[in-house]
Amino acid sequence: MLFVLLRLLPGDPASALISVGADASQIEAAREAVGSNLPLAQQFVRFVSDLARFDLGNSFVSRVPVLDEISARLTITIPLTLFAFLLSIVIAVPLGIIAAVRADRWYGAAISTVSQLGIAIPVFWVGILLVSAFAINLRLFPSGGFPLRGWADAGEALRALALPVLTIAIVMSASLLRYVRAATQDVLGSDYLRTARALGASFPEALIRHGIRNGSVPVISILGIELATTFLGAVVVERVFALPGLGSMLLLGIEQRDYPNVQGVLFISTLFVLLVGFAADLVQRLVDPRLRDRMGGRP
Amino acid sequence: MTTIADIPQAKPSRRGSLTLRVGLALLGIHLVLGLLTVFWTPYDPAAMAGGRLSPPSLAHWAGTDRLGRDLMTQIMIGSRIALMVGAGAVVIGALIGVTLGLLAAFATRFLDDVLAAALDILIAFPTLLLAMLVVAASESASLGTAIVALGIALSAIVARLTRILAKRVLAQDYITAARTSGTSWPMVVFKHILPNIWPTLSVNFALQFGLAVIAEASLSYLGLGAPPPNASWGRLLQEAQGTVYTAPLGAILPGIALVILVIGMNFLADGLRDRADPMRGAAR
Amino acid sequence: MTDYPLSSSPARTGRILRRLLAATAVAGMLAASPALAQDAAIDADAVIRIGSLYEPQNLDNTAGAGQGISEAFNGNVYEALFQLTDSGDVVENLATGYEISEDGLTYTITLQPGVTFHSGDPLTSADVKFSIERVTAETSQSSRRNSLANIESIETPDDETVVITLATRSISLPYNLSYVWIVNDAATELTANADGTGPYRLDAWRRGSSLSLTPFENYWGEAPSNGGVVFQYFTDATALNNALLTNAVDIITAVQSPDSLAQFLDNPDFTVTEGQSTTKLLLAYNDRIEPFNNVTVRKALARAVNDEQLLQSIWGEYGTLIGSFVPPTDPWYVDLVDVDAYDPESARELLAEAGYPDGFSFTIDTPNYDPHPIVAQFLQNALAEVGVTVDINIITANEWYTKIYQAQDFEATLQEHVNHRDIVFYGNPNFYWGYDNPDVTRLIQEAEQSATVEEQTEKLAEANRIIAEDAASNWLYLYPQIVVSTASVSGYPINGLNSQFYAYDIEKRAE
Repeated sequence: MLFVLLRLLPGDPASALISVGADASQIEAAREAVGSNLPLAQQFVRFVSDLARFDLGNSFVSRVPVLDEISARLTITIPLTLFAFLLSIVIAVPLGIIAAVRADRWYGAAISTVSQLGIAIPVFWVGILLVSAFAINLRLFPSGGFPLRGWADAGEALRALALPVLTIAIVMSASLLRYVRAATQDVLGSDYLRTARALGASFPEALIRHGIRNGSVPVISILGIELATTFLGAVVVERVFALPGLGSMLLLGIEQRDYPNVQGVLFISTLFVLLVGFAADLVQRLVDPRLRDRMGGRP
Repeated sequence: MTTIADIPQAKPSRRGSLTLRVGLALLGIHLVLGLLTVFWTPYDPAAMAGGRLSPPSLAHWAGTDRLGRDLMTQIMIGSRIALMVGAGAVVIGALIGVTLGLLAAFATRFLDDVLAAALDILIAFPTLLLAMLVVAASESASLGTAIVALGIALSAIVARLTRILAKRVLAQDYITAARTSGTSWPMVVFKHILPNIWPTLSVNFALQFGLAVIAEASLSYLGLGAPPPNASWGRLLQEAQGTVYTAPLGAILPGIALVILVIGMNFLADGLRDRADPMRGAAR
Repeated sequence: MTDYPLSSSPARTGRILRRLLAATAVAGMLAASPALAQDAAIDADAVIRIGSLYEPQNLDNTAGAGQGISEAFNGNVYEALFQLTDSGDVVENLATGYEISEDGLTYTITLQPGVTFHSGDPLTSADVKFSIERVTAETSQSSRRNSLANIESIETPDDETVVITLATRSISLPYNLSYVWIVNDAATELTANADGTGPYRLDAWRRGSSLSLTPFENYWGEAPSNGGVVFQYFTDATALNNALLTNAVDIITAVQSPDSLAQFLDNPDFTVTEGQSTTKLLLAYNDRIEPFNNVTVRKALARAVNDEQLLQSIWGEYGTLIGSFVPPTDPWYVDLVDVDAYDPESARELLAEAGYPDGFSFTIDTPNYDPHPIVAQFLQNALAEVGVTVDINIITANEWYTKIYQAQDFEATLQEHVNHRDIVFYGNPNFYWGYDNPDVTRLIQEAEQSATVEEQTEKLAEANRIIAEDAASNWLYLYPQIVVSTASVSGYPINGLNSQFYAYDIEKRAE
């Protein structure tokens, strides 16, 4: 499917290699070098057989093996995703519970309202605003780019990721918060909680002992989806902050018609999505014994 | 980038009608502004009437852009474009998504499993990313292309929801009875399934609308959206980003307009849900 | 983003500059006087971080690496027989001298002795022959391949001598050879490695991020004034500016908009320098097709556009108006700004005269990066005033290359041309814009075969005038060339001629 979609892109990948003043023979040489002169069917066979050997091919443009470039870029995208993910859990879980438990207080309502705002803001706009506030006016963090020596320069690398992580976390925690709040509300209205309290447990104790375990089940599957979308959605954030991650590789690949790169990124992303989904399923089963016997429990 | 679609709703019902009203009011602002541009705008959108990046004034409430065009006019036209994108994408997404979802719900066990797995993977891909690939695959960018791309991207979410809802209805005893007694499946779909799932779907469509508006702005920001002179908010923001020091308003106002519209749609969805499902609200 | 030598992103300016003109820094700008940088202790080990938008595609300039490789490698990692200095002079580099035969067809070049490559191999005439043939080879994708096509043979009578024989006279041969890297003939995999003779050797290339160079210990010439260079690559001009503001880079080689300049101009932490630009923005028509094959139509469209207002919109107080393709720094410059100056009234008359009293409509294929989309909108509005309807089709740099440059399938396009001495493109009827005037073609050919520079200049100035009168394309304006750095660095090139950025003289004061 990816293969077909990509071949529809206008423009010949070989053209990316050629500079002005090239004549027909130079162009033919370039096409031969990247294999775009072969019939489509032949290109496809090549693609599938390489994939089977986990060889994602070489970039049309840089001729560097796609897998090498992906692994280099993952050193940015994976920390970015994980930090943003952890930060949004740290923000969203307590706030979500407070918003549900204290829905009748002003701060509970305020949290809910602010979270509405959070899910309505485009992530790139958050990025632009954060850059103007923290990078340009206050000069606290770099506004973009990643240190040359990468993680060897751990302090600088962390500083470079600060604003991108915050940007993603703001948007992500808003929607996560709403799930947590809803899950908590379901727990609050449940029989077992009432029973526990009737048996003499204090409210916080009941909430912690019974509520979290039960309430977390639906939240975990949402977390899985959120983690996957963050990973893939880093495209825009990486553009705003000029981070050389997987997303910018994809965008550049599309612009340059560098099919092997684009295919490689999408392949790895799909793999990641499947893995995360699987992991979320596993965790869910560990938390909720009722799910353990149910095989392949899709709704 | 988030799948707002599945967010469970939890507004207490007494506030239900309030959310609905606030939502309608916010949406109304944009409807009025957007429709107004069909007949009238403060300035000719192409007119380079003011100076370069002039600050807000009585003549130009929101100032002007680099070419001296009135920013208020651009933002108002942005409203119209956002409404068109939202509505267009939702209609396309609904047509494709509902069809696919129903197909899956009726399909054999094997086909259903395959479709379900495919949809589960697809919805993990952000709408924006799917739309990006569709846009990149098309010959030339236009507003139409962007709308179709977003519609296709949204359809995965709609299809997944439709499938789940339809299966739930299909499992009801009376449907089984109707089917065994020989009612044709189109009858089942139109008489039983659609009316049953419609309230939930329509709430979802309102959320998808907001999602489409955000995704279109991001596409335009990345330079993959409708070409100029379509004054998409995303493109206005992208153009203003470079002049954020000298004219910060240009990088703020289109964003605020966008947030108002999306919040409006989300409130509207909340309100609709509370009305469609009062029991849920009452339970809290 | 893909960049091509002639047509590249904002503000990568190639330029020629006569030394006298260099002194004319524009009022209001802080002209750096790099060589005289304050005494304060120079840190000879400082690594200079250069911010750029032009990451190379690969590391071989004969394999379509793009302009980014000229920026990073020319004069830094690789040297040529001749060097094009930042002020536009062609000086001897790896060549110590040359003799031209009576008929102008044979060049006997002697090489600098005692030069070694980074790998340790000595430089010999065989390396030179290998290097030139790399550029002229069938498979070479060098943009200079055509200009060196008149080389008939290269001989190497001994290790220090190269004899080049031409088919026809070529007054620009030393200039053209300044583009030819001298590469070790034993080197392989040049798309990912480098083996040159320059003051720096390649340290590491982190794709998508940066390229670093360290001083080469056995360099034959003067050692660099710094402890190495890192080119940091950005895809977005705003992010690049921000990087300088937040001290993540020391220099940005070309500022993209006057708005971002404001924050550097009134800040003593930064130095802003305006150099001489050769980057021309033009609306190129496909002169082969209706209605653009009609000179009257082209003149009408030229008169319909208020270039001054456009330049002011995009660049505020900066930039220069031009009346043709030739910037003021080329020797064959003639002031032609008044030819087909802004006059909508006469534009309408000319259109009627040409048979389009009600105008017509056409599409501008517009590259997707700044400033093209906004300029296209300006043109759309301006031409609407004279009844001509413009559609804007946004394309990527890559599509520009296939659709316009290769297939020549377009009506009109916007493009910036960075190189200097590129008027010769109008002498090639097969060039993408398809301008075909036999007089111009002949003048440009004769100019190349001139015996003296005066003769060459005279012929090209004549061609320049004809092209302007023909309104061959619509030349909108000349970009300003503005370099910004932190105040602690000095000694960098300010013109970045032909995308080159010689880094060896850059000094950084200890903080």
